[in-house]
Amino acid sequence: MVLLALVFGAGLAFLAVSLYRVQVVRYAAFARDQMRQSIRRVQVPGPRGRIYDRNGVCLAENRPSYCIAYYVEELRRRGPWSRTIDAVNADIDRLAVAIGVPRQLSYTAVSNHIVRSLPIPLLAWRDVDETTLARWAEASGDFPGVDVYVQPERHYPFGALAAQTLGYVRRDRPAASLGERYHFHLPEMLGANGIEREYNDLLTGCIGEQLIRVDARGYKHAVWEGQPAVAGRDLRLTLDVRVQQALEQALRGWRGAGVVVDPRNGEILALASAPAYDLNAMVPAPTTGVWDRLNADEGRPLINRAVQGRYAPGSTFKPVTAMAALLRKDFDPDATYACDGAFVLGTMRLRCWNTYGHGNVTLRKAIEQSCNSYFCHLGQEIGYDAIYAEAWKLGLGRPLGIDLPSESRGLLPTGEWKERMLRDKWRPGDTCQIAIGQGLLVVTPLQMAMLVSVFANGGTLRRPHLKLGDGPPETIREMGWPQAELARVREGMRDVAVFGTGRRVQVRGLDVAAKTGTAEYDAGGVRRKNTWVTAFAPFDRPTAAVAIVVENGESGGQTVAPMVRDVLVSLFGESPPDAAATAADSAEVRGD
Amino acid sequence: MKAWLLKFRALNPLLLACMLGLIVIGVLYIYSACSVREDPELRLLYMRHAEVGAAGLVAYLVFAWLNYRVVLRWSLPFYFVCLVLLALVPFIGEKTMGARRWLFGMQPSELAKLSIIMLLAWLLGRRGANRGAPAFLTALLAAGVPGALILMQPDLGTAMVLVPTVTSMLFAANVAPRLFWSFVLTGTAVAALLLGIVYATERVKMPAPTREALIRATGLRQHQLSRLQVFLFPDKDLHRTGYNRRQSEIAVGSGGTWGKGYLKGEQYLLGYLPPSVSSNDFIFAVLAEEAGFAGSMTVLLLFLGLLWPGLWVAIRCQDDMGRLFCVGVVALIFSHMFINIAMTIGMMPITGLPLPFISYGRTFMLTVMVALGLVQSVSVHGREKETRF
Repeated sequence: MVLLALVFGAGLAFLAVSLYRVQVVRYAAFARDQMRQSIRRVQVPGPRGRIYDRNGVCLAENRPSYCIAYYVEELRRRGPWSRTIDAVNADIDRLAVAIGVPRQLSYTAVSNHIVRSLPIPLLAWRDVDETTLARWAEASGDFPGVDVYVQPERHYPFGALAAQTLGYVRRDRPAASLGERYHFHLPEMLGANGIEREYNDLLTGCIGEQLIRVDARGYKHAVWEGQPAVAGRDLRLTLDVRVQQALEQALRGWRGAGVVVDPRNGEILALASAPAYDLNAMVPAPTTGVWDRLNADEGRPLINRAVQGRYAPGSTFKPVTAMAALLRKDFDPDATYACDGAFVLGTMRLRCWNTYGHGNVTLRKAIEQSCNSYFCHLGQEIGYDAIYAEAWKLGLGRPLGIDLPSESRGLLPTGEWKERMLRDKWRPGDTCQIAIGQGLLVVTPLQMAMLVSVFANGGTLRRPHLKLGDGPPETIREMGWPQAELARVREGMRDVAVFGTGRRVQVRGLDVAAKTGTAEYDAGGVRRKNTWVTAFAPFDRPTAAVAIVVENGESGGQTVAPMVRDVLVSLFGESPPDAAATAADSAEVRGD
Repeated sequence: MKAWLLKFRALNPLLLACMLGLIVIGVLYIYSACSVREDPELRLLYMRHAEVGAAGLVAYLVFAWLNYRVVLRWSLPFYFVCLVLLALVPFIGEKTMGARRWLFGMQPSELAKLSIIMLLAWLLGRRGANRGAPAFLTALLAAGVPGALILMQPDLGTAMVLVPTVTSMLFAANVAPRLFWSFVLTGTAVAALLLGIVYATERVKMPAPTREALIRATGLRQHQLSRLQVFLFPDKDLHRTGYNRRQSEIAVGSGGTWGKGYLKGEQYLLGYLPPSVSSNDFIFAVLAEEAGFAGSMTVLLLFLGLLWPGLWVAIRCQDDMGRLFCVGVVALIFSHMFINIAMTIGMMPITGLPLPFISYGRTFMLTVMVALGLVQSVSVHGREKETRF
């Protein structure tokens, strides 16, 4: 009997000790196990930062988008999952009739949501309009477990303005970035291109988290707010909406691009590519119709021509050739060269655009008249290496490092490059072509805008940028040009605007310098022309440099110069005719 | 005071108080465990438990008032009734969850436990009863036949609980000591061998036919085999067979020292502890999670308050029949409690054994209360000299 009592006592003691070990000693481990199996972390994105222009005009913001959401736990059915899935599907079909909008979710999508993302709301209709919302409000009594769910959606108040520059956002996918920490994530906006992509990290902010306690089947049981999300930072750009609008208005109907930059610091005031597209059609995702149309468009609106377009600069390159010559001690800019309408190099005959010839021209006159013969001659005199050196220093043939994705580098060919790629040696004709901005040379409009701003600001290549910074401007390179020699080129460019090929850029009351360009190219057997104007103003203390290129234009002076003028007017305004300066008047009188 | 009421003054108060305490705890935690059920019938399960408790209390007092010597004389007829019922179960019993255990709304196997205890007490405890090898073999046969029938239902847990109960009674009766000990040792060896085979089939490399032959040699059914495997290898399959064990262990462990508070047990609220078992076999997990180590200890103390006076009554009893009966009942309650709690914290293989007075299970509850009523009867009448009728 005593032995039995001992056995029973030992049994009780054993249980007591075991329970002590489980409940007291190993409590923390079991509590953690329980948390792990019943807690789901949901990644919650912070509100995305807004984008402003330099004057505080909003270019990209978030608007509330109303969704009709199903809280599946309210419709749960016992037994196999298919019962709950069927119940939700039937309810969605019923609600579709009630609100008069066809269902947006396929049956498979509903099933996938219930299997994979049960504790988070199922968005049955996204971004519904007010009428639908009103109909839902009327019918909502019959639909338990359905509620309105508001989520932020990107909105671009100006629609297509600076479309390729701003870029748009898409919903990110639950990618590997989710990591092990989170079980679910609420959709987050991810910059797809342009500024939205370049500054995505800054705009995104900090991810918050929500903890959801789920039951054994995975239904939401309770929600705890964990760490709240931190809103993304707002971004202020160097763009000026008025200038951007003027530039895009000028380019309307053409294919082309334009860049307006402040030569003092490299701030981009406007950067446009035409044709453009409506950014609001791209969020949250472009419909297949929109997407197909954009991709089928021969104008290729998705390309940002200002930084990705590849064009021959044509005569707008001539100031570089002129500067390369002026840097040589033995060069006399006042020496004349007789243009008879063509330049003969061996057996090759390069025609000047003025078939009758320009007669005897000096450097200044040659810039004003854009005389091809003179510059071909000059190229032969100074050699390609001299031209190459200056062009390279000016940033051609490599990206400038603007804060936009996929900037093109253009092409500044060398002898080795030609031999490697074209299996042909460098010929005097190549030098001749490049001296007048043709041949193998390829630039982007941004490169030309930065190039002309070097002439504008007295010889400093600044880093072009779109984010308005408060620090000092970043300098890529000091050219080290003697001011006297630079002045000759600048004077030549002013002559272009006053007497020469670029007279149409003139704005009353504003001293402008410009250079036109018309680069011919072969487009499938048809001769096409890329027409250019580069300009800066005011002449003495330039605050704006412009480069615009238009594909298949008539000529730089005729097609593009009025566009540059419009842009300059948007920047500086125009004096009324009676108070106008004489220089501007005389330009009008001389006509084209 | 009327003479027939005077008898109740001799009731063991601790035995009664602890039993009532356990029943109250049972009602409270069945309410808790069933509060998450959708079926209104099931939500009211605690009421059923309380009703059985009340009915059981009446039976308890009636049997305490009756003289156990008279009652135990009916052991043999009662035993045969139970045998017949058990034999009927495979043919007209109701089937639930892969086993036939129910007949006319009750479980004959639970009655059989009491009948075996009664019969053994009567067989071995009568005046002048044989205590030699024939008695030993008769006792084994008396327990073995219903045991085998229960095993066939299949109900391994109930059959298993008979082993310590019968062993305790045979030991207390000091029947054929050499035979007894050789049986105990053999039994232990067989159990060890069984576990060893299960262990070997899992961990030792062998050709598949050999493995299957070994498993077949154990005679275990698939679910019994997998329960043993879960016991030996707790981490083997956390999602199927090991799931309940794992979840009940988490429930008990996460309760901590003071528990999460009444009606706040997360494991059953969130359904990790399946609702089908949380009100019966795994009620202790619900209790331990909500009341913590303090609650578990309270329950253990209350059981101590049942077992100790039970043995005390046995010691003070004047005749072997009453003494053996008390030992049998105490051993039965102890076995149930030990296996159930140990299983909840993963120290025993999972078997469907209820925790006395706390788990929901009407037949078992009534049976145990009647048995304890008879223990009280031993307390009341056992000190009287045996009178001849």
